[in-house]
Amino acid sequence: MADAILTMEEIDKSFPGVHALDHVHFDVQCGEVHALMGENGAGKSTLMKVLTGIYSKDSGTITYEGKEVAFSNTREAQEAGIVIVHQELNMVGDLTVAQNIFIGREFMKGFTIDDKKMIEESKKLFDELKIDINPRDKMSDLTVGKQQMCEIAKAISHKAKVIIFDEPSAALTEKEIEDLFTIIRDLRSKGLAIVYISHRMDEIKVITDRVTVMRDGGYVGTLITKECTKEDIINMMVGRVIYEDPKTESKVPKDAPVVLKVEHLNAGRMVQDVSFELRKGEILGFSGLMGAGRTETARALFGADPKTSGDIYVNGEKVTINSPQDAVKHGIGYLSEDRKRYGIVVQKTITENSTMATLEKYMSGIFINKSEEKKITEKYIKELATKTPSSDQLVVNLSGGNQQKVVIAKWLVRDCDILIFDEPTRGIDVGAKNEIYKLMNRLAAEGKSIIMISSEMTEILRMSDRIVIMCEGKKTGELDISEATQEKIMSKATRDIA
Amino acid sequence: MPGPEKETEGNVEKIKQHPFVKKVGFNRVILFCVMILMYLAFAIMVPGFFGLARIMSIMNYVYFLGFLSLGVTFVIATGGIDFSIGPVMFCCGLISGYTLVNKGAPVVAALIISVLIGFLFGVFNGYLVSYWTIPPFIVSMASMNIAKGIAAVYTKTQSVSWPLSNDPAGGWFRNLVSCNGFPVGLVIFLVAAFICMIVLNNTKPGRYILCLGSNREAVRLSGVDTKKWEMLAYVICGTLVGIAAIFFVGAYTTVQPGYGDQYNNEAIAGCVMGGTSMVGGLASIGGTVIGVLIISLLQEGILALGFAKDIQLIVTGLIVIVVVYADVMARRRKN
Repeated sequence: MADAILTMEEIDKSFPGVHALDHVHFDVQCGEVHALMGENGAGKSTLMKVLTGIYSKDSGTITYEGKEVAFSNTREAQEAGIVIVHQELNMVGDLTVAQNIFIGREFMKGFTIDDKKMIEESKKLFDELKIDINPRDKMSDLTVGKQQMCEIAKAISHKAKVIIFDEPSAALTEKEIEDLFTIIRDLRSKGLAIVYISHRMDEIKVITDRVTVMRDGGYVGTLITKECTKEDIINMMVGRVIYEDPKTESKVPKDAPVVLKVEHLNAGRMVQDVSFELRKGEILGFSGLMGAGRTETARALFGADPKTSGDIYVNGEKVTINSPQDAVKHGIGYLSEDRKRYGIVVQKTITENSTMATLEKYMSGIFINKSEEKKITEKYIKELATKTPSSDQLVVNLSGGNQQKVVIAKWLVRDCDILIFDEPTRGIDVGAKNEIYKLMNRLAAEGKSIIMISSEMTEILRMSDRIVIMCEGKKTGELDISEATQEKIMSKATRDIA
Repeated sequence: MPGPEKETEGNVEKIKQHPFVKKVGFNRVILFCVMILMYLAFAIMVPGFFGLARIMSIMNYVYFLGFLSLGVTFVIATGGIDFSIGPVMFCCGLISGYTLVNKGAPVVAALIISVLIGFLFGVFNGYLVSYWTIPPFIVSMASMNIAKGIAAVYTKTQSVSWPLSNDPAGGWFRNLVSCNGFPVGLVIFLVAAFICMIVLNNTKPGRYILCLGSNREAVRLSGVDTKKWEMLAYVICGTLVGIAAIFFVGAYTTVQPGYGDQYNNEAIAGCVMGGTSMVGGLASIGGTVIGVLIISLLQEGILALGFAKDIQLIVTGLIVIVVVYADVMARRRKN
């Protein structure tokens, strides 16, 4: 492309154990909206972080306005005219709109800040963008959509030439998205280059000129939006070969008893009217893209976060779950995606962690029966093949896979029949992954029922008997493993207004 | 992979340690040695000053601080803090003493009232911290003032003097501190410390207090009622503060409304010096006992060397900073 303002070529970046970007190509021209698409972990964010200097690249070149550049931080990128509008907005809620826009470069009048001038300048900006916001308003009083407009105005005020939108529409209403698009079109006509990261297929079709698809850290291809279909894009996103044997049919008998039934569960914006059933001995996969509301569903079900409505039945009986205590009482265990924060107490021993949920069973009188405690812990160390010198080892000294086993042991000691695995293999190396998979299969065969939330397509197709697919807080589909394909799942996981 | 490396490091360290050292804890052994060395240093600098009789009389002024420190150890173990312990102790001593002296209540009743008031402050602080989730810093600052205020209103801002040991009616309670030269207080204090140690290490409340201090959310998601156990830490602390008040008046006789703040610092210094981490999750009762002894030794030493009493305040203030800094650095290295 002759008139590309920004070209990234052969960008390569590795983290320990992960080849995050594999010789990726990306370019964007003035007056174009260019979509960047891909599954979770495809490398979109990493690429943008390399561009704006948050990460340094291992190799490759970035050419901006005809010159090779290498920004060492976002500030440098910003000064050069490349700005990211983040999904989570970086605004100070208690300051006014004008103060936020000019934060860090306030106009001064002697020793005091010239608020008047900042307000005037903000007004000019808003007029230019045809945005209706009062610069005197407090940031926290604005809707998310309006806050985002402010963020855009701020970007413009930095004399931005390239604006990167990172899932801008995730938190917006339909009306706000329309307003956003009007602004984006306006910016495009003014000759700015726009990078638009989103999972929403319909938006891509509406607003973008070209689409670049990434997969597993690699560059797949670039299409002209007008000339391609949704299916083309999805095929590019998922077209990987799955090396591990995917499950082809479920071994769970059709008449296996339903151990958990969730009906019309609602909890905030991220969980809207979710219903599903879980059968004995089944692994029920929860698939979807980042922010689909899967973790939120699990947390609401487990009582970790409050829910607004919905009924939960365990073994056919209606139960009330308002706290993790209630859930545990009904035999539900939750293994968080963020082990270190929500799963284990890292500065305590394996024993202390293993009996955390079941301490009352290991008491003699008012004292903790430490030898019994040790015995049960060692039993599970052996059974789960946890690699540790002893049960007195602090959990912080274990590897990710072994930490996960400690969490599993905690719920097995408790004898939970329903286990919710939230991203069970995140941050676990390949060998340990297989062990966790084997373990989950064994637990299911022993009659435990498992809900597995996973963002990895291979994991979903390899482990699940049935798959629930969510998108933006809603359940958008359910597939038996015999009929599930990557394409079908991805198609349900991406938003599409009929 | 950093995991396995750390594992071997940990093992090497453990293999080197003698089983006794491992059981007591390396830091505690060091701390004990520091205490002995300090004692020897002062004994050399101030000749003939630290005889057994002298130590025993000093010890009488140590117990109350010890009880405060034991109490606050539980709170700090949860990751919280309590700046109200000193003034609440004064409040306990004042109200119960005033009831005893001016309203003619029996000594036993006064002692019970003292413990009860401490207990109630513990309930108050604990409830606000765990159920209303007000930051412990704020809660204890507020209840410090409340304690001072209540005591002043009740006593009409008069200082209260508890009966002396030769008082036939109420003097007997001083035997709790020392009876015919036998350190009863020391025995009671050590028994209390032992019980605290058992509670912290061998019972459900202790286990959960330490775990929630380390990672509250993980404990909650294990189906544990973290609020209840967190509140209990404050209640234990309050009760021990009520007991501390008895030993305070047993040593100092007179309590004045509006004071008590300085003992916060001393008690917290003793606790943290003993290896209890200000971030929560790690606590050692044995360490607290040694820590309190070191603080007391240091203060007596400063006086014996002829410095003004105010120097004590400066030194304890600095100690808190140094000890907490050491804890912060140790954690940073671990990560």
